[in-house]
Amino acid sequence: MTADATPALVEDKQQTAAGPRVRKGSAYPRYLAGKVAGAAVSLLAVLVTSFFLFRLIPGDPVKTMTGGRQVSAEQLAAYRREFGLDLPLWRQFTDYCGKALTGDFGTSYQFRAPVVDKITEALPNTLLLTGTAFVLYTALGIFLGTRSAWRRGGLGDRVNTGLALTLYSIPSFWLGLLLIIVLSVGIGPIPGMFPTGGMESGGKEGFAYVVDVAHHLVLPVVTLVAVEYGQTLLVTRSALLDEMGSDYLTTARAKGLRDDLVRRRHAVPNALLPTVTLIFINLGRTVAGVILVETVFSWPGLGGLFYQALSVPDLPLVQGLFFVFAAAVIVMNTLADLVYPLLDPRVAR
Amino acid sequence: MTTTDPALSPRTLARQRRRASVARFWRQYRAERAGLYGLAVLALCALLALFAPLFVGSDVSSVTDAPGRPMQSPSAGFPLGTDQFGRDLLGLVVWGSRVSLLVGLLAAVLSVAIGTLIGVTAGHFKGWYATVMMRITDWFLVMPTLVLAIALATVMSRSLTTTVVAIGVTTWPTTARLVRAQTLAVETRPYIERARALGGGHWHIMSRHVLPNVMPLVLAQTTLIISTAILAEATLAFLGLGDPTVVSWGGLLQDAREAGAVSAGDWWYLVPPGIAIAVVALAFTLCGRAVESVLNPRLGVSR
Amino acid sequence: MGTNDQTRSLPRGLRLVAVAGAAALTLTAGLATPLDPAPRQARAADDGKKVLTVAVAQSVDSLSPFLAVRLLSTSIHRLMYEYLTNYDPKDNHAIPGLATKWESSPDKLTWTYTIRSNSTWSDGRQATAEDAAWTFNKMMTDDGAATANGSYVGNFRKVTAPSPTKLVIELKKPQATMTALDVPIVPKHVWEKVSDFSEFNNDKSFPIVGNGPFVLTGYKADSYVRLKANKSFWRGAPKFDELVFRYYKDQDAAVSALRKGEVSFVAGSPSLTPAQAASLEGAENIKVNDAPGRRFYALATNPGAKAKNGKKFGDGHPSLLDQRVRNALFMAVDRKAIIDKVFQGHAVEGEGYIPPRFSQYFWKPTASQKLAYDPAEAARLLDQAGYKKNGDGKRVGKDGKPITYRVLCHATDPNDKAVGKYLQEWWGDLGIGVRLNCLDNVTDPWLAGKYDLAFDGWSVNPDPDFVLSIHTCGALPATPEDTGATDNFICDKTYDELYARQLAEYDPAKRADIVKQMESRLYDLGYMNVMAYPNAVEAYRTDQIKSITTMPAKAGNIYGQDGYWSWWSAVPADSGGSSDNASSTGVVVGVVAGVVILGGLGAFAAMRRRATAEDRE
Repeated sequence: MTADATPALVEDKQQTAAGPRVRKGSAYPRYLAGKVAGAAVSLLAVLVTSFFLFRLIPGDPVKTMTGGRQVSAEQLAAYRREFGLDLPLWRQFTDYCGKALTGDFGTSYQFRAPVVDKITEALPNTLLLTGTAFVLYTALGIFLGTRSAWRRGGLGDRVNTGLALTLYSIPSFWLGLLLIIVLSVGIGPIPGMFPTGGMESGGKEGFAYVVDVAHHLVLPVVTLVAVEYGQTLLVTRSALLDEMGSDYLTTARAKGLRDDLVRRRHAVPNALLPTVTLIFINLGRTVAGVILVETVFSWPGLGGLFYQALSVPDLPLVQGLFFVFAAAVIVMNTLADLVYPLLDPRVAR
Repeated sequence: MTTTDPALSPRTLARQRRRASVARFWRQYRAERAGLYGLAVLALCALLALFAPLFVGSDVSSVTDAPGRPMQSPSAGFPLGTDQFGRDLLGLVVWGSRVSLLVGLLAAVLSVAIGTLIGVTAGHFKGWYATVMMRITDWFLVMPTLVLAIALATVMSRSLTTTVVAIGVTTWPTTARLVRAQTLAVETRPYIERARALGGGHWHIMSRHVLPNVMPLVLAQTTLIISTAILAEATLAFLGLGDPTVVSWGGLLQDAREAGAVSAGDWWYLVPPGIAIAVVALAFTLCGRAVESVLNPRLGVSR
Repeated sequence: MGTNDQTRSLPRGLRLVAVAGAAALTLTAGLATPLDPAPRQARAADDGKKVLTVAVAQSVDSLSPFLAVRLLSTSIHRLMYEYLTNYDPKDNHAIPGLATKWESSPDKLTWTYTIRSNSTWSDGRQATAEDAAWTFNKMMTDDGAATANGSYVGNFRKVTAPSPTKLVIELKKPQATMTALDVPIVPKHVWEKVSDFSEFNNDKSFPIVGNGPFVLTGYKADSYVRLKANKSFWRGAPKFDELVFRYYKDQDAAVSALRKGEVSFVAGSPSLTPAQAASLEGAENIKVNDAPGRRFYALATNPGAKAKNGKKFGDGHPSLLDQRVRNALFMAVDRKAIIDKVFQGHAVEGEGYIPPRFSQYFWKPTASQKLAYDPAEAARLLDQAGYKKNGDGKRVGKDGKPITYRVLCHATDPNDKAVGKYLQEWWGDLGIGVRLNCLDNVTDPWLAGKYDLAFDGWSVNPDPDFVLSIHTCGALPATPEDTGATDNFICDKTYDELYARQLAEYDPAKRADIVKQMESRLYDLGYMNVMAYPNAVEAYRTDQIKSITTMPAKAGNIYGQDGYWSWWSAVPADSGGSSDNASSTGVVVGVVAGVVILGGLGAFAAMRRRATAEDRE
């Protein structure tokens, strides 16, 4: 996700600085209940937004649905009835909320299938892509970020940070297109090594299928990792540098401990704590941010579905997808909030 | 110090103090080498964009007077080749910088303005107002930005204003949170107490005391958000949600894709706008980080 | 808060990262397994199988023939199910499909079809008139089943199957489409178990029972549609063993896939771009099929939208009601430039309403009638009509405001946007502003009449009745709330009289003459200004496909035919079997990819191990 990467970077420092602190073990359940309740409220708010935001799309979904074919007013009315569009807005809204709470997001206009089915069909594909990319860029980001901080100011650090910042400024879709030209189509002496798009060639079974999917996975994952790892790297690095200025480290050093030992044993683990928050939040955001990469690589995931649904507009599907995207972020944020105090060694439990 | 001279009016005093702090800021900023590079690149880009009418002319985007044949590869006449209308791509990239930078700037200003307004007021007026504002902020913060921006761009008609609003409206929450925290810190300082005791109203305190103090932070935020906004503009244009009649870097990439430049191997159409976006976004990020590290050296982000 | 605590937390913090990573991995690995579609398609080993792979972008809206309306889905249904009749690939006349012959009563109200006895469903049962009767009856009685093709049966009184080879359809009033009933006939014994036709998408159990040239064996949304040849198809088995529609949402990706041999055929939507065609023309083993199109590409003008009941709606610019203005606008459109620059030669300059491919009906304006490109004359016409330039060089409307026309364009069609840019400049020189309103879906403002001009285009059938009918007053919506068959609300008495005359004319030459008069009238009116006839530009690999039938056979297109000719007739090249070499390199590279991913994980693990080792010392 290019659009919000920088603010998140700043915001996270802020968040950790004011990070949740729980004094007593007994306070944790209350803390937990508060966070979960907050998340529930957020989810409800998302539900409301998803309903009203997309009603603003100009157009009559029923007329659009019938594709401009000749349809009588009665037939149009029948369709409106079928999809509950003839009811007053507040009734549509209460119906929508009521059903959504039971996990029913209605029927897609264009696919004539339950929205939940369409989403569960595409969700695993998106998770496969984001999950793999997430693991890799997080690992890479932490690894390089730690190294960079250790050798702060050195050539390695400068190259590392410079590269991360550069990749982080590159539009992901552009990088994807370039990778297709160079590594998929092949240019000059470089042969085309990877598929140009899609998730599978089809008709493969067992191990061959897994290999096939992995093969298709390479370029989109490389694209995502390239544009995303920088953020983790920078946050890890600055968290570590921040930690290295702490008093206890000076004390440890004064005790005569070797410098690198101090860093590795004391500084790194503590510095990683704030990064954990970022990791969770990133995972949530990547689910929604993958739209571009999915578009470029024809990956059959939620992003493509969302885009297609918006153009109709297929309101039930759009609402359902919007909810899923936002829910991913909310759930991950909440998880981060819940896990953080458990990890923080300064919490006496 | 200037305060020793009783002949100076408070206004002059304030101005002098401000000038001194700007000088100090600049001195520290100069030590940030990456920030200087970024600044240099930006200055160059700004000059290029400002004086583009002088050396490329507004008719560079004209399709009827296109000088070349469609999709020519780079040559002496067209250093970056031509697009599908036969327009000079070098000229278009230069010309496109105007829209991309303008959209980035306006969107960032809008975003930061909203964020500052909400941040300062939420920090100043406590109680239910602050609670409601911060809830809204938190809620916007968890919204997937790209998804929300796409949704907004779909809801409104395709124009530059739409793009600016879609980016501005979705990126302000971080600023709001940072500014609020800063406001809270500023308001605990004794002189605010004094100003209040002297009968300073809300408006006076917010505009005269809080705002100048959060300004450096706002500056850093703006620089960072411009880079985000330029990327977001490119993204929206690429997804076909921009104004198709306006030449911008993202729009050029979208044109390239629609013309089939990727599979035809016409790299000269695809590569320059992308590099332009990356360079400018990087330059703004570098400047933003430099400003940040001057303001808060403990972060040790650069060096 | 001692140093000890800090130290102890080291493995803990890292462990969490590791756990999160491991969880994500298990998650993804676990997810990968249920995705596996392979078990459903029990089939022999890959050796020597001839696979024809077609790149597509459009999503399947439904695999149920009762619901599907999109081009890809209906084309697939053509392959899965036999229709009563088919179209001859040479000249499009009706030829036997499931019905071997048909006759109508003198009053044209009773139609009797003889159903062939040599068509069997893929589960071994015989396809009979009973199946056809059941299909039609279902559509007549169940609203859900009438979703896609209900219009065909709206006029049916009764459908019966007196014997397995005899189908009788009784009509309420004569219907022109009785030998062009594009309705897939489904097997009754399978479909009678369906309870709700409005929600059944026919995509749960494979293979799907059918009797067309191919049997659908696998489908995954936006991934692929897989069909295998029906060896017992009555017209003869297809030459390829398998037909796969593979998704490339990005046209460039599809073209690259063709270049690499991942796919055998690319059509593009609506066609390949000039740059793509140019680059593929020089490529080895690739043939670009640049066929004269059956589409016209026009600039439609809002004539003031109204309904049959006389109610006006929409907000078209009043100045456009003046024929001189419409003609002037078109005279300022340099059609030659559009052909040269936008289509780069892959189109023919627009003249009359019907493309030259249908030579019988093709009409050209006379020299005096022709609205040739002439900006000076256009400016004169506008002056004459009273739309003079103001001080700023902008023409003002009767309301005193400068004229700016909103032009509705399809955001998904690059040509609309490109031509729009030209319009802005051409009309800008005339002193008229243009605002392009590009939307993913133009249906809504279009149906509401909320546009001034719009990019328009239709595929023309060999019989032009339909494309002519959409400009009659009868096609207007009954009320503003209805959706009519009308294209852009044209209602002209002279045109309507001619339309009625051509309907009643049985002599082909005379009818063609009347049709040409209609085209002439339409041209003069200036509501439909045809700018170009775009070619169908598609490409295929000659090392995978040796030959393939185009429709019409001479200089025709391949994708989106009325019938299954292209895929049924395609002959594999000797080297055929697209997937073989690709899959072996695929495995190699896949292994490399796996190593890369493992490497990444390894680095991560190494870091973790180093940390624990450190802890141990």
